[in-house]
Amino acid sequence: MTKMLWAMLGGSLVSIEIFFLTLAISVPLALPIALGRMSKNRWVSAPVNLYILVMRGTPLILQIIFVYFAPYYLFKASYDRFTAVIVAFAVNYAAYFAEIYRGGIESIAKGQYEAAKVLGFTKSDTFFRIVLPQVVKRILPASANEVITLVKDTALAQTIGVAELFRVAQNASARQFSTLPIFVAGAFYFVMNWVVSACFARFERKLAYYS
Amino acid sequence: MDVIKVENLAKSYGELEVLKNISFSVRKGEVLAILGPSGSGKSTLLRAITHLETAQTGTIEVCGQRMLDAGTYADKATLREVLLKLGLVFQDFNLFPHFSVLRNVTEAQERVLGRGRIESANIARSLLAKMGLEDKAEAYPCELSGGQKQRVSIARALALDPEILFFDEPTSALDPELTGEILKVLRSLAAEKMTMVIVTHEMAFARDVADRAIFMDGGVIVEEGPARELIGAPKSERTQAFLKRFLS
Amino acid sequence: MKRLLCVALCLAAFSAASFAADTSLKAVQDKGKLILGLDDSFPPMGYRNDDNEIVGYDIDLAKEATKRLGLKLVLQPIDWNAKEQELNTGKIDCIWNGFTITDEREKAMSFTKPYLKNAQVVVVKKDSGYTSLASLKGKKVGLQAGSSAADALASAKDFRASLKDVIEFKDNLTALMDLEAKGVDAVVMDLIVANDNIKRSGKPYVVLDESLAPENYGVGFRKGDLALRDAIQVTLEAMAKDGTIAKISTKWFGKDISVVGK
Repeated sequence: MTKMLWAMLGGSLVSIEIFFLTLAISVPLALPIALGRMSKNRWVSAPVNLYILVMRGTPLILQIIFVYFAPYYLFKASYDRFTAVIVAFAVNYAAYFAEIYRGGIESIAKGQYEAAKVLGFTKSDTFFRIVLPQVVKRILPASANEVITLVKDTALAQTIGVAELFRVAQNASARQFSTLPIFVAGAFYFVMNWVVSACFARFERKLAYYS
Repeated sequence: MDVIKVENLAKSYGELEVLKNISFSVRKGEVLAILGPSGSGKSTLLRAITHLETAQTGTIEVCGQRMLDAGTYADKATLREVLLKLGLVFQDFNLFPHFSVLRNVTEAQERVLGRGRIESANIARSLLAKMGLEDKAEAYPCELSGGQKQRVSIARALALDPEILFFDEPTSALDPELTGEILKVLRSLAAEKMTMVIVTHEMAFARDVADRAIFMDGGVIVEEGPARELIGAPKSERTQAFLKRFLS
Repeated sequence: MKRLLCVALCLAAFSAASFAADTSLKAVQDKGKLILGLDDSFPPMGYRNDDNEIVGYDIDLAKEATKRLGLKLVLQPIDWNAKEQELNTGKIDCIWNGFTITDEREKAMSFTKPYLKNAQVVVVKKDSGYTSLASLKGKKVGLQAGSSAADALASAKDFRASLKDVIEFKDNLTALMDLEAKGVDAVVMDLIVANDNIKRSGKPYVVLDESLAPENYGVGFRKGDLALRDAIQVTLEAMAKDGTIAKISTKWFGKDISVVGK
């Protein structure tokens, strides 16, 4: 039992690694994508919109397989599994976050922009000091959803052979002829998401100083 | 001297003409009231002068600088200079909800005018005191009443030392009891000879405090003159019809 | 010493005889390692033990073979459905995992000669009362997706036609779990894996006497990687001759059931 738990802990570390790397890339990347989506220039907004549609419209598992195998067929290029997983996850989640940001930005009243303009704020100051801080508060619940989904989606990494938590659980199941390891893995995911939810609850409380 | 000179200003939204050949001027230290029914174009006029909207033809001159010259807008730098001379108070306050009351008044001072933090805070506190809100400096806009929010809004605009203050229906979003405190502030600003352009429905206030008044309807200036005269004894029939509803 | 000499001579002969264009063996030797792709939940051929290490009959064979060839063995778990892509894109060098030789697979890749005999059999619950293929008429059958069980079932046309439904699972364990839960009435899988499963789990499963198709396990390489394949083949034959394979087979199956060189 303990050996299995240690193995699962090792698998969890891989899952957690995927989790943090994906967030580190997709959260910032989503901002220019959101702005591109909202751009008045059709040459910018149309391709960005297409990218978002494809990312949200096709299964992540399919994207993982594509990102990993396609480069070989297209350019005879190859790169390692873990990198492929991160690329697929980051690019996919950036699309989802971009739509969340867009929703948040578009929900900011026009009056905020007008007040800022009349007071003489630069476009950049208006966005980063007036608009964005308000957007962050508004998108917390939707963002929490995405982040929790990400924790669970890390299980898909096994599609291209990355040994994360769920794969370890399945192997233990095969070896022991029991489904117990699967349920134990479930407990691991639950704990990870409990931590995520607690963090977001804390963020929301911190930003509750105004409404 | 004229701090605002508007000549032949016209604006359309596609087919719809909202401002037709508007010309008027405002003198330094003067209080101008703009009256009229909704849809008359008075808010649009205010927003055109403060560059929140763009006009197609005409001339707008502020403190000698041409913002718009016969349909052509000045370059970015000039527009910015002009904008800094203007302050605008909105009907819906538009305070920044994530900043404290104090920060609402200091932020633009620091970021736009480059004032130091201590200097900005001092100026902010004295303005808030003038508005009777010195003890609300650390509060957030969501905790204030409408009247208090509008007063913060006025302090925020004043903090940048504008030459001219514009007010777009400053009391229309307030409960009647709270209107008085804003009118009191406007009265004291007028007494200090602040140049102001106020779009308002408060006829009694306009008659008592404004020096001149303009009545707009359907995108044109129907009548203009000294406030007491225009509101007390309007000459044009349309003006009479409009004021009758308010003053009776 | 005699062993190594024999292997070296055979290798030399094969290298000389190979087409100049076949650099498969050289490429692997330059890398210094052979990447073996497997489904790491396929006992007893390749699976993870309690210490989470990959072990199995195929693993022991591969370890010894690569040792003799002076190569490092790298075990790469893959998704079984993606095995062809993994091989063709060079992410793995061979598939060595209770891999059944079928006509279709032979078209797509190069196999060694068979090293183990197997059969596709039907596993049912002891108390189910099913005793023959005919008794499963109108019933549901499960199997691992992408496995030769699917091929075997497809070629047993009458049997296939008599079934109500065929359900594909990610791996044999899930299929067997469904058997236990009565989601399916039978599972088609490798005889060797079924026997190992029944032996170690003690679950009340039974293998029907009527099997679907006899088959052979081989090691799969990229089509055209003949030099590499031949090197492994030669090494396996040497291992059979000197009794190494018999030892490994006894360890896993209780007796020597290997067919290398026989």
